[in-house]
Amino acid sequence: MTDPGLRPPDPSPWHGMLVLLGCALAAGSAAAQPVVDTSEWKCEFCPFEDGTRSEVTAGLTSVSDDTAFLGDASGLDEEGVYLALDATGSYAAEDYRLRWSAEDLGVDARAAEVEGGSPGRYDYRIAYRELPRRAFITTRTVFVADGDDRLRLPDGYVRAPATGDMSTLAASLVARDIGGDRRRLAVGAGVELVEGLRLSADYRRQEHDGVKIRGGALFTSASLLPLPFDYRTDEAELALAYAGERGRLSLGWYLSDFGNLNESIAWDSPFTTVAGADTLRMARAPDNKFQQLRLSAGLSFPAQRTWLSLSAASGRIEQDQAFLPYTINPDLAAAALPAPNLAGEVDTANYALAITSTAIERVRLRASYRYDERDNRTPQSDWGRVIVDSFASGEVETNRPYSFRRTRLGLEADYDLLESLRVSAGIERREHERDFQEVAEQTEDTGWGRVRWQALPSLQLDARAGSARREIDRYDESLAAFFGQNPLLRKYNLAFRYRRFGDLAIAWAPAELPVSLGLSALLTDDSYTRSELGMTSGDEQLVALDFGWTLSANASVHASAGLDRIESTQRGSQGFGAADWDAAWDDRFLTLAAGFRLREIGENLDLEFDYLRSDGSSELKVGGPLAGAAAFPDIESDWDSLRAGLTWRRSETLSITAELGWQRFETEDWALRNVAPATIPVVLTLGAAPWDEEQFLVTVGARYRFGTAAGR
Amino acid sequence: MTARRLPILLLLAAGFALLGAGRGIAQDEETAGYSRNGADSCLGCHEDAVTLAVFRTPHAVPSDPDSPFGHGQLQCEACHGPGGAHAGRVRRGQERPAILNFDDDSGYTVEQQNAQCLDCHGDTLAAGWHNGAHPADEVGCADCHNSHAARDPVLTAAGQAEVCFDCHRLQQNAARRPFAHPVADGRMECTSCHAVHGETVAQALAQETVNATCEQCHAEKRGPYLWEHAPVSEDCGLCHDPHGSSHPGMLTRRGPQLCQGCHAQAGHPSVALSADGLPGAVPSRLLLGQNCLNCHSQVHGSNHPSGSRLMR
Repeated sequence: MTDPGLRPPDPSPWHGMLVLLGCALAAGSAAAQPVVDTSEWKCEFCPFEDGTRSEVTAGLTSVSDDTAFLGDASGLDEEGVYLALDATGSYAAEDYRLRWSAEDLGVDARAAEVEGGSPGRYDYRIAYRELPRRAFITTRTVFVADGDDRLRLPDGYVRAPATGDMSTLAASLVARDIGGDRRRLAVGAGVELVEGLRLSADYRRQEHDGVKIRGGALFTSASLLPLPFDYRTDEAELALAYAGERGRLSLGWYLSDFGNLNESIAWDSPFTTVAGADTLRMARAPDNKFQQLRLSAGLSFPAQRTWLSLSAASGRIEQDQAFLPYTINPDLAAAALPAPNLAGEVDTANYALAITSTAIERVRLRASYRYDERDNRTPQSDWGRVIVDSFASGEVETNRPYSFRRTRLGLEADYDLLESLRVSAGIERREHERDFQEVAEQTEDTGWGRVRWQALPSLQLDARAGSARREIDRYDESLAAFFGQNPLLRKYNLAFRYRRFGDLAIAWAPAELPVSLGLSALLTDDSYTRSELGMTSGDEQLVALDFGWTLSANASVHASAGLDRIESTQRGSQGFGAADWDAAWDDRFLTLAAGFRLREIGENLDLEFDYLRSDGSSELKVGGPLAGAAAFPDIESDWDSLRAGLTWRRSETLSITAELGWQRFETEDWALRNVAPATIPVVLTLGAAPWDEEQFLVTVGARYRFGTAAGR
Repeated sequence: MTARRLPILLLLAAGFALLGAGRGIAQDEETAGYSRNGADSCLGCHEDAVTLAVFRTPHAVPSDPDSPFGHGQLQCEACHGPGGAHAGRVRRGQERPAILNFDDDSGYTVEQQNAQCLDCHGDTLAAGWHNGAHPADEVGCADCHNSHAARDPVLTAAGQAEVCFDCHRLQQNAARRPFAHPVADGRMECTSCHAVHGETVAQALAQETVNATCEQCHAEKRGPYLWEHAPVSEDCGLCHDPHGSSHPGMLTRRGPQLCQGCHAQAGHPSVALSADGLPGAVPSRLLLGQNCLNCHSQVHGSNHPSGSRLMR
């Protein structure tokens, strides 16, 4: 298959941008600075920071239960008692500053940061953060990890064509939690070489390991595998930036180098569906490297009240990991691979320009242009597939390295009709070219209008409405047929779409009352009116209300509510003809939050309280003559969270803190409910159960401030 | 359309410049109006902890010549403007003349307030700021930044979300859905994905594209793979809602229907999957567990020579 229509890139953008940059640098004039005689400004009463200042909070946190959802990201996911240790501090000398902070040192979500330097001359930063993500603690598996690239069945495991016939399955199950841990180290430094010219270097290393769920197929059966993973990503960034009176210019180099410590995962098949296919194997995410050169500039033309931003980036993604053989099955005669590795190469190009001007009285104009390109230069070859380590397909398939080019041109204008009334309008055109897909070219035109009205000094209304129409040159049904698709299908990202949208914001904050009220709403209505099959509509209705009441300088109350509704409809054809079934999703989400803050009760007591409730429901309706009589039960989630905190300031330097927390999370999910490892005859699952968790948290500690600069 | 349209933008730039020619802002040459003793004039009255905290910030480093308290700089009046009248004597019953303050009741427009900040930070931020979405919404620098705080909350992971959510309420609600990035927990910053001072990327993304932004942390999805899944290489947002979702993996919809929105081959991809496939009836491999991903698990791409169906 050949590239059907992409043209070679136009080399002019870089040239054009450089010309523009040169013109801009040559134009304009520096703003005059006021000349003030400050020789008598002694700043004798200025308490400049000098010395050290530290604050340490130490205590214990008791966690009542093991949880996955409720303990996610916090590190408080297991029952027990944890050290609660946070610290912040600083050091200041005449021409040197140092600041450090550490939080959650006693749990697996610890973070620490040190930054310092001589302001205006050089600076540095070291930061470390752990982020534990927890998904399931109800999962069980028969697989035993042998390293990170091999999953074995236990000795004596009875393999069978269906899970119900695996007589040793229940006795072989062992708990295996699903989740991962990220550890991120960032180091950076910058130095001002000469006035306005700054060189900066940053390095980040991210390690991500854990266990995720991965399906492993064997013909018509499959096993959900507890897949160990271990990723490393190194990022480096070098930038030289000049900042002057008229703006800034920055030239940079960026590297992101991803490494996967495992190139594959092999597992024993618990199924005997295919004779000889006892051990199966799949590839893992390959190592890859992305490098990019970046140029960006921001220019101000104060006299013309005009600002210009431009950026240009040219990058390359490389991936050249050695291929696995077609199959691990020794009974199948393996053909030679057409290449030992991919030699994958993707060139990226991104150019952007934005200009804003308020040169005309009461008018703000903005124009923007953007071009993004992904040019996948990976070579194409013919491949002879072995179907899931079971059979040679006998077919030759050619890989399709997808490329695209996207452009976006936008114009918008604001006009201050009255001092209190601003009207705005905007248009935008997006164009998208692709290869190897059913739609080679598509355009989307958007238009919108907006009114922003300060109805009263205390009342502001902001409303916007518009529509967008996405057209395609043609949907290549012959290409769809080549892929075996029903020719009536229109993939939703390639289909004709008419979108209506609107948003509304109202803010009321009367000066004479200590209250504020806000409303935000967003409506989106997508119609895919030319799609016989596939997605036919998508709607979003999001509303948020917030309320604040400041009773005094030391007392406040807040409350908020949100209602989200996300709907979609689609049609399908089981008979591979016209539509004979339809499906509709209706997701609803209700959020309620409230709390209060009381400071200095009896002069030395602070109290705060927060409550949050989040209820979600998802309704799925499948209709049509083939849909079956039974209805899907709703998917539901109920999440309550309550937190109360108390601080007693014993002295200027010592405070006693206490915090109580309670959380509950319950779900109903038909994809998980009663799906034990052997429930599906041809899929051995991990038996993940819907979440039903409750957790109490109690923290008691003390905060102590000290240092030579403390107390000032 | 390709990058050939860039010249149009260049013409527009020239047009804007011409529109503004000859009507530049009057340069403020005024030197009068400043206080007699600088910060010492201010601190005689403003000696509260909130005000004095500024001396713990980068704004008050005497050795930094660019700091408001650097040698020869205008100290408090660098940000709050000339304070001579405000600090001077007033007659009994006369209201003390106001000084520029950074709040809604200050009597100064948001643009005037922001101009004070951009007077120093404009060399690096002005163009990006004015070309971004925030100034069109009349957002003030002080709406997000607290320049007197020893540690500006918006610059911390724990404090940033609260600041952003104060306006972005819809995103706050999305972050409270069951499957979301841990932004609401203060474990991840909004700025991990968004460059809030504007610039040129839609949705103020931190990187040039949606995918490049996601791949900062999810670099294993970057490929290129031997067998690519077309929408993955194009836009992560076609299947995922990064602000939060009711569906695992922050999917916009749940499989198998999500997959069936694009896959209608004869056979199992087109089957009308109903509740008859739930446990208690005939448990379906196409519906339960990971649904389509029970078998087609390499949905982000496969580098296996036999992986064209994303099963290896």
